[in-house]
Amino acid sequence: MDERLSKALDFSNYMVTLNNQKRLLAEKYQENLLVFHNGCQFTATKELINFVKLLLDNHQDDSAVITDDNGIPAIVEDIDSFYNLIIDAYFSASNSYHSEYMKLKNQRNVEKLVDYEK
Amino acid sequence: MKSKGAFLIARNNAQIDYVKQAVFLAKRVKKYLDIPTTVLTDSVDYLKTTYDETVFDRIIPLDYNPQKNERVYFDGALYQKQATFNNRARCQVYDLTPYDETVLLDTDYIVSNNLLKQCFNSQEDFLIYKESKDIAEVRDEQEFKYISDTGVPFYWATCVYFKKTKTNEIFFNLLQHIEEEWDHYRRVYQITSSLFRNDFAFSIAIHIMNGFTKGDFAQEMPGKMLYTTDKDVLEQLEDDKMMFLVEKKNYLGEYTALCTKGQTIHVMNKFSLNRIIDKELSNG
Repeated sequence: MDERLSKALDFSNYMVTLNNQKRLLAEKYQENLLVFHNGCQFTATKELINFVKLLLDNHQDDSAVITDDNGIPAIVEDIDSFYNLIIDAYFSASNSYHSEYMKLKNQRNVEKLVDYEK
Repeated sequence: MKSKGAFLIARNNAQIDYVKQAVFLAKRVKKYLDIPTTVLTDSVDYLKTTYDETVFDRIIPLDYNPQKNERVYFDGALYQKQATFNNRARCQVYDLTPYDETVLLDTDYIVSNNLLKQCFNSQEDFLIYKESKDIAEVRDEQEFKYISDTGVPFYWATCVYFKKTKTNEIFFNLLQHIEEEWDHYRRVYQITSSLFRNDFAFSIAIHIMNGFTKGDFAQEMPGKMLYTTDKDVLEQLEDDKMMFLVEKKNYLGEYTALCTKGQTIHVMNKFSLNRIIDKELSNG
């Protein structure tokens, strides 16, 4: 096989594996963003965080109805602690996503890509 | 205090040792979810003489009743075997489970995190996965979106949470009826294959419970169902880390390596799963 093609195919394999791993990391990130409160599931998105912060800034910190991921209305009793819960989940998930992503990005061959956590 | 636990069904066929998978999964359920496991099996003696029965909270015997429900099982893209698909016992789970709140799992659902624990805090009475993702992402996922081209939404019977309620009793009785009249229902719901599948039966039952339309009788389990099909191979497993060889698009028999950590995966290649379990068992 032409060496140029052979090298390109090696790189192509590497890219397929890298993209697969990136996709799985993104899935894991979405899972880590999940927060469970009063039997309801919330994803700690930037939008939710902003909305809850807005409630706090407007001094609506007693209780509020917020729809969860399944569209179910949930009464959140203590907005302040709920805010802490979602912001913690957001930073913990995002930091872990970032560090794992950087580790992954620095692997330069297929073997290391699937073994980067060891 | 309400009792909580996992429920597994293990019915061996000539090719696949589901009891072995159930023993393996029960240990992981204890480790990651910290709940007891009950198993329903038609191979009680085999279980007791071959494996450590203490991993189970309860062992419920099931009459040996082989079915004429044959299907092809792949072991990677190039190898396949035909075997009996002994899958007709799921509707009995409501009556048989000793728990007030049950997570019903397939034995090939490899629990690797504690996400399913959140079911027990849910306000909902019945949870099931509808959202799913093929971790290989090279195949058409349509067959796991709808039960047929013109059919109703697909739900995964692989992992189901339910509380003992009157409504859920009605649901499981309906499931039994659908199972008994499968040939009728599969025609009504335009399923071309005569093979009985629990996923289809659950999907049909949910559609009926919702008044033959979309509805919220069934809510989503936490997160999303991640799966690999039997065309992929589970190559390594160490604690919560798994390495798969997943089918390569347009290159039959070629694979791409893929690694997961802390993610629960539905591993449909039962042969490769059993090889991995054998390795685990031999390592103690």
